[in-house]
Amino acid sequence: MAEQEKLAASSGGVKALPDEPAGDEHQPASPSRRMEIATASVALALALLALVLSRNIHLRMGGGGLDPKWWPTLLSSAAIALSTVLLCFSIFAQTVRRDDLESSHRDGWVRMLSALALSALYVFAWWTTGYLVATALYLVALLWLFGLRSWKGLIIFPLVTTAFIYGLFQILLKVPL
Amino acid sequence: MSPFIDGIMAILEPTVMLCIGAGVIIGMLVGMFPGITATMAVALASSFTMTLEPVQGLAVLLTIYVAANFGDRIPSILINTPGTPASIATTFDGYPMAKNGQAGLALIVSALVSAIGIIASMVLFSTASVPLAQLALKFGPSEMFAVVILAMTIMISISSKSIAKGLLAGVIGLFIATIGRDPITGDARFTFGIRDLNSGLDFIAVIIGLFGIAELLDQLLTHRPHEVKPISALGRWWPTKDEYKRIAKPTGIAALVGLVVGIIPGAGGDIAGLLGWDRAKAASKTKASFGKGNIEGIAAADTASSATLGGSLTTTMALGIPGDSVMAVMIGSMIVWGIQPGPSLFVNQPSLVVTITALMVLATMITLAINLVRMPMMVKLLDMPVHYIWTTVLVFCLVGTYATTNNMFTVSIMLIFGVIGLVLKRCGIPASPIVLGLILGPLAESNLRRSLLIDGPAGLVNKPISATLLTLACIAIVVALSAPILARRRARQAKAPL
Repeated sequence: MAEQEKLAASSGGVKALPDEPAGDEHQPASPSRRMEIATASVALALALLALVLSRNIHLRMGGGGLDPKWWPTLLSSAAIALSTVLLCFSIFAQTVRRDDLESSHRDGWVRMLSALALSALYVFAWWTTGYLVATALYLVALLWLFGLRSWKGLIIFPLVTTAFIYGLFQILLKVPL
Repeated sequence: MSPFIDGIMAILEPTVMLCIGAGVIIGMLVGMFPGITATMAVALASSFTMTLEPVQGLAVLLTIYVAANFGDRIPSILINTPGTPASIATTFDGYPMAKNGQAGLALIVSALVSAIGIIASMVLFSTASVPLAQLALKFGPSEMFAVVILAMTIMISISSKSIAKGLLAGVIGLFIATIGRDPITGDARFTFGIRDLNSGLDFIAVIIGLFGIAELLDQLLTHRPHEVKPISALGRWWPTKDEYKRIAKPTGIAALVGLVVGIIPGAGGDIAGLLGWDRAKAASKTKASFGKGNIEGIAAADTASSATLGGSLTTTMALGIPGDSVMAVMIGSMIVWGIQPGPSLFVNQPSLVVTITALMVLATMITLAINLVRMPMMVKLLDMPVHYIWTTVLVFCLVGTYATTNNMFTVSIMLIFGVIGLVLKRCGIPASPIVLGLILGPLAESNLRRSLLIDGPAGLVNKPISATLLTLACIAIVVALSAPILARRRARQAKAPL
């Protein structure tokens, strides 16, 4: 959709695309002024933090002029200016459309956060128990989370994938796992 | 031996052929599955190509780049969903053709014109990259800084819905690049006493996080189960003599569009496909049927998007400025192999131009052959359940990132950047300028500081090349800012009563 608008703008505002859009199941995210304000505010806060950190960089041989603090300071100042502009836009301008994004839903949040938690757990498990066991269990858990209930799939796919990755990295590419 | 023979000999080794084969399979698969982009695949493949020889690694990554460009057309035509953004315009006529019982014809025409587009773009690459690199060799610090700024502003103005957010993303990328040791004095910046941060954030981990994990998390967040069965009645495959004649003109027009768009840093196949389709429609005698299953439409869209590949390679290799997001990722890998894309690359290693051209052409021919011969089998792969794809991508992201440094800290960084990437995406802040800033940050900082030390601030505007490039950068921003305003004004004028 964004590309369609972009092309329309570049071709003199004339909508040059066919009537039927790609993807019949597209459920666009709704515009949100609150989200825009939050985004700009967080960006401004982080930019200010970056400026403070930039000014506090410890220099071994004294500072001044074009020292190592200069470039990060310049960038964080630019970020402050841009975040301020964004904040003004988010408050006073028309709310930005989010047609290019799919809307999220409760099941999606559960799935995404669970996958993230499993991944963090996997990193820890790999570190403590080693690659083979951790990866096979991680794959079983992921497949279950993503909706697979066939016991054949839950056993064969993790074993084959774990062995394939092991063969590719450990044996073929000599990367110790 | 001559650079030509050296370049050709480099790809004739059996291991390189094996790498090309692997690249074709990976590229076709990632292209075919909607949501997995070529950028994501190249980022993932970067992890397991790090231990390979540079030519072997290039063979894998470039072949994925080429093959994904073929594979992404299949879901566009059969389920009306682009495999990657580069095939958005393919859906306009591809899916209506499939609904009209001409899916086989659409798939074959798409494969043929994609190959023509890539080969045409490689002619551009092989002829223009060395002269461009020689010109760029004359650049001093101020000119190099200006080139970086121009590349970033063009990418931001093209790839961002909001210029302010795009610029902010670019600044974030440049700032992240300052983590680690200062490039001139060696002072530690933002390392917080963590030894792993002394050499900066790992490119590959950040890229896999922003393009791989973030995309996957977004899919997990938004995916809704629905049955979209691919069109199974494929009809006839090969075009008639008359149809070959019909597609010749739109293919030519779209190839030109693709070549021009490809040279512009940051502009990729998605923009070229849309513009090529639009220009071919404007020049067609059958423009009324564009968007309703016109064979000229699919030929134009796919030629234009494929013809960007050589242009992107040209700016990447000759200037060190990524032509598109795939190239931004590839630069990260090349640096790891000890190849620094930029003006001196082709002067020091002239055979590399031949090697890259030969790799791209060979990959194109092999992928085309597979497309023409094995298309019915590949169509069946579209039925693969999504839980297998998600699981495979996730585990490859984690293991692949670990393989880059053998350090769990890098994996943690990748996961953190995955979450950051998701938040940025949901907030409308694009990831491409961040990666560009991250890659070009050290180049921008060191050249700006050198330029200011040598000539002072006047050096940036007194030298004709840097002044011109900086002016072009300003124009790019002004044009991007004014385009929506002008479009709104035109729309108001069009709506106003006469």
